[in-house]
Amino acid sequence: MTPAAPNDYVLGLALLTMGLPLLAFFLVFFLTRRSVGLSCFISLACSAVPLLCAWSLLLGHWRMPVPLLWEVVWMSSGGATATFGFLLDPLSLLMLTIVTSISFLVQVYSLGYMAGDPGKGKYYAFLSLFAWSMISLVVASGLLQLYIFWELVGLSSYLLIGFWHHKFSASEAGKKAFVMTRLGDLGFFLGIIVILLHLGDLSILGLNQNAALKLGPGLLTASALLIFCGVVGKSAQFPLLTWLPDAMEGPTPVSALLHSATMVAAGVYLVSRIFPFYQASPEALAVVLAIGAVTMLLSSTMAMVARDIKQVWAYSTVSQLGFMLMGLGAGGYFAGVFHLTTHAAFKALLFLCSGVFIHHFGTNDFFVMSRSGARGLKAPMICLSVAGAALSGVWPLAGFFSKESVMGVLAGLSNPLWLVVGLLGAAMTAYYTFRLLFVMWRPCESAEDPLHGGGHGEHAAWAYWVMVLPLIALAVFTVFLGWGGRGLEAFLRWHQEGVAEAHHGWLVWASVLVVASGVGLAWLEFGRAGAAQAGFLSHLPALERLFARRWYLDDLYRLLLDYVVYGFFSRLFTINDRRVVDGGIDGFCRGTAGAGWLLSFLQSGLLQFNLFSMVLVIALVGLYFLLV
Amino acid sequence: MDNQFPYLSAVLLTPALGMLVILFLPHRSTRAVRWVSLASAGLCLGLTLRLYQIYDQGAAGLQFVERVPWVESLGIFWHLGVDGISLPLVLLTSIVFFTGVWTMWELSHRVKEFFALMLLMIVGVYGVFLSLDLFFLFVWYDVSLFPMYPLIAIWGSTRKEYGALKLTLYLLAGSALVLPGILYVYFQSGLFTFDLVQIAQAGLAPDVQYLGFFLFLFGFGVLAGLWPFHTWSPVGHVAAPTAVSMIHAGVLMKLGAYGVLRVGMYLCPQGLVEWSPLFALLATAGIVYGALVGLAQTDLKYVIGYSSVSHMGLVSLGLATMTAGGISGSVFQMFAHGIMTALFFSSVGHVYDRTHTKLIPEMGGMAKVMPRASFFFILAALAGIGVPCLASFWAELLVFINGYRAYPVLGVAAVLGLVVSALFMLRVVQKTFYGERNERHGQAPDMTLAMTLPRAMLAATILLFGLAPRLALDLINTATTPLAGMFR
Amino acid sequence: MNSLNTYLFMALLLFCIGLLGLLKRRSLIGMLISVELMLNAAGLNFMAFNRFLAPDPAVGQVMVLFIMGIAAAEAAIALSLILALFRKIRSVNVEQARQLKG
Repeated sequence: MTPAAPNDYVLGLALLTMGLPLLAFFLVFFLTRRSVGLSCFISLACSAVPLLCAWSLLLGHWRMPVPLLWEVVWMSSGGATATFGFLLDPLSLLMLTIVTSISFLVQVYSLGYMAGDPGKGKYYAFLSLFAWSMISLVVASGLLQLYIFWELVGLSSYLLIGFWHHKFSASEAGKKAFVMTRLGDLGFFLGIIVILLHLGDLSILGLNQNAALKLGPGLLTASALLIFCGVVGKSAQFPLLTWLPDAMEGPTPVSALLHSATMVAAGVYLVSRIFPFYQASPEALAVVLAIGAVTMLLSSTMAMVARDIKQVWAYSTVSQLGFMLMGLGAGGYFAGVFHLTTHAAFKALLFLCSGVFIHHFGTNDFFVMSRSGARGLKAPMICLSVAGAALSGVWPLAGFFSKESVMGVLAGLSNPLWLVVGLLGAAMTAYYTFRLLFVMWRPCESAEDPLHGGGHGEHAAWAYWVMVLPLIALAVFTVFLGWGGRGLEAFLRWHQEGVAEAHHGWLVWASVLVVASGVGLAWLEFGRAGAAQAGFLSHLPALERLFARRWYLDDLYRLLLDYVVYGFFSRLFTINDRRVVDGGIDGFCRGTAGAGWLLSFLQSGLLQFNLFSMVLVIALVGLYFLLV
Repeated sequence: MDNQFPYLSAVLLTPALGMLVILFLPHRSTRAVRWVSLASAGLCLGLTLRLYQIYDQGAAGLQFVERVPWVESLGIFWHLGVDGISLPLVLLTSIVFFTGVWTMWELSHRVKEFFALMLLMIVGVYGVFLSLDLFFLFVWYDVSLFPMYPLIAIWGSTRKEYGALKLTLYLLAGSALVLPGILYVYFQSGLFTFDLVQIAQAGLAPDVQYLGFFLFLFGFGVLAGLWPFHTWSPVGHVAAPTAVSMIHAGVLMKLGAYGVLRVGMYLCPQGLVEWSPLFALLATAGIVYGALVGLAQTDLKYVIGYSSVSHMGLVSLGLATMTAGGISGSVFQMFAHGIMTALFFSSVGHVYDRTHTKLIPEMGGMAKVMPRASFFFILAALAGIGVPCLASFWAELLVFINGYRAYPVLGVAAVLGLVVSALFMLRVVQKTFYGERNERHGQAPDMTLAMTLPRAMLAATILLFGLAPRLALDLINTATTPLAGMFR
Repeated sequence: MNSLNTYLFMALLLFCIGLLGLLKRRSLIGMLISVELMLNAAGLNFMAFNRFLAPDPAVGQVMVLFIMGIAAAEAAIALSLILALFRKIRSVNVEQARQLKG
């Protein structure tokens, strides 16, 4: 499809969307950081306008015939060109709308959540920085621009996770997130270089249309897999999944925005962005599918034993991202994107609801929360339940439809194993979600001290309502988004009738059954009157420890880092530097000095001895010339 | 262009004039000394910006050329000129010079001598970047090196005599290779001229290029921190006072890389072709090695010193790729790294002045104590990691792309070094600046506004060139594209 | 008698006496005098070659004038050095001045 140039109106809207958050970042960070009210105002205004622009772009191009492309050369040297611009097509418009919407809602929410924090101005600056990079990532017209902003969202993630950097765990988590995603980005970067060198074109359109023709199958698969490394890092897939749960050290609105709805979904977005490219390489898609499946299972098991409400949602984010990748890997472009959309809504909602509880009770442990009277907060409780149900895939909420379409794609695969894995994951999702919900609904009367200090129990009413309003908006989306699936599919597929993903009637019932069994198990253990509120895993301590320790992945990394990087390479090289390189030079210098010391014995200090030797030497030389 | 104002001589002679004025000022009038230094630095900066503005990118090539016979019988000319490679570096020198002088405003020990020596060093630096005559280039090269010894030995800290001695010996050993190289080229060219352009146009025999490039590579390479001749650099940086570290790591190390580029690669392109695998190997070793050793350091300045080794490895790798993009990236990296390191050292210098320590274990939580100093350090660290939209990112991007193109295995290894450098930079940031407010240094004051400004200038430069890399890269490309054509 | 060799022998004699004195005398003043003798030997050589061999008779004389000038300057500097040394070690004996011993 040949792209068209946008008209001035569209260009203006798009540039406004891309530019305002950056402006807000600079203004807030460098000028108005001290005056909190003004900072919040600037940041919110620069987030509301892009929101309106994004929606108007989406609605204005609902039936767009060709993508719109606008770009300028950002940097060019020796055949490598980085462009800066935007490519508006259904996928980027959809994602743009998601990003700006959730970003705006989270900024509103943060007004209440961060009230009284001394760094609020800086916080809003970072949020604007994130919004700018994420928006530019989404609309990027070329892979290099996408990579640049991919790194920048990583940076904002680092800054926001470590926002309360006086806590050691927070700064540690930020560092871990940055380095682990960096490791994945290494592959992404190499993939870009491979494509640049062999294809010479990094534009997304070019990649999708020509890559399969111009690159050999080997190179194609190699570059697709290299790029997928970046996805693994950013979307916290196996084996780089452990940074995301740690990232929950950041403020909860940040977790909602970055670490569930938008930034971590960027990996999935990338795969769907260059989906035709991936489709050209079945091997790469198989890897995507397998990694997605493994991740989904692993992280679901971890979520089943977590006691920290944010950890549960973090694991579930990882598993849902894996699920999306499974959908994409199985060839279901729309299924993956649809699940991405609905997941953004309900997962942001889950986090924001949890944030209200955390803010109120000053703890992350949902057992404690429940005992402290979480049920008293009606609106957040309802929203939490709705979102949880959507996550589990309960009809008629958004999650049901999107999961259904992913399942449909999985069922279309020749190997039934993948469908089984998907269903198993769905069951586990339902189990751990309702485990949490039942605990929250039914406080267990235990002997432990019910009240946990340190919360903002008496916070101002305005703060509470500022936090609840975005919840309600998101809840509306969560409830109704599922019904828009058909329209969205038509939009994303450029209104081409064609490969409609197959629908299996029996599948609906199978998944309903699976979800019901998960919910039922949770009810038995946590929900029914007089339940012990202890999962079946507590009878299997070895397994529970395995899950709680994240399958020892973290320990493995720690070991690698401590013993291989620090203990071996770094130490060895340092010793080499001190002893061999530097020591060698020092030894050489000492040798020179020693030789000088030896020679100095010739210096008697007697002037006439020196003169005599001089004359003698001259005489000898003269004699030599006379004789020869 | 005959009746043009001699910009280049003006740039070169302004600090010399400043130095002379300072020498005639009485010892006690430290204020006057500072103002004279700052004025000459400001004048240089202004002239350089003007140069940058009026350089004709369309015409490219050497411009503002001044060529006056000096000792005609020996073929020595006062030959100055700038092209797309030297102009960004002259700009770098001006910026670092200006901010360096400003940073040392609060110096109180032997002010007059300090600034006189610093200006002398800057004259040498400008001289190397501007001269197109091998004789003058070599003279300026040594003029820029020798003030380092007194500057470090008198105003330094932490094993200062040792550091100064090691640095001086290393660099003089380097120039002991350069001088024979220059004379070798002088005689073998058969022209008996020191004029770099003439020799390059005439071309040298392949075997002359082979040996000549070897001498230039290792002679200048020492100053560029080429592995394994790098150990003077961390030691020297640690010992040097703030502004000297800034100029040294920021500008002086670039002299080495510039020498390899301007003398080695211009005169001996075939030599580079022969030696490039070794060159690339040493460069990559430096990148990875510097990052890994930096991981184990506990002294802030050592950390930055090793990061410089790693980053200068990138410069070398870019040169070794023999492609237009790689060399552009390399030149841009020199510029970006210069600004970045200057920012590093100037913020560490502030922390050290106020807390009298630069040991990482003794710090922690400095972000609460000195938010401004911390901001600048963290910005520099992020630039060092290669965060996009900060200047060094583009340079690293180009170097990696072309490094991979030319040497796939080394390219991948170099990119791996990037992860390690992220690890060690963030580790330092975390251990030094994050954490609970540090009560031991709780009373240490943050930067005053006046002292913030020079750092802010550096930070703004990093951001500006990060957001708009074409400001520099388009200019650099005009020079590197024809250069890369010589390596066929 | 009036031939080049006579003058050359004279100069050689003068030079050898100077050299012997330079190597044997322990007093710095004595050494200085010996150096003057050697310089004069050189001057004599110049005059002799000038007189017998050179086409342009002025050159040698100019050189001798130079040597005399230099000898005067050298004497002044050397004497001041000797004086400075004497202030330090209270002696002009060269064996006492052994600070340069390695």
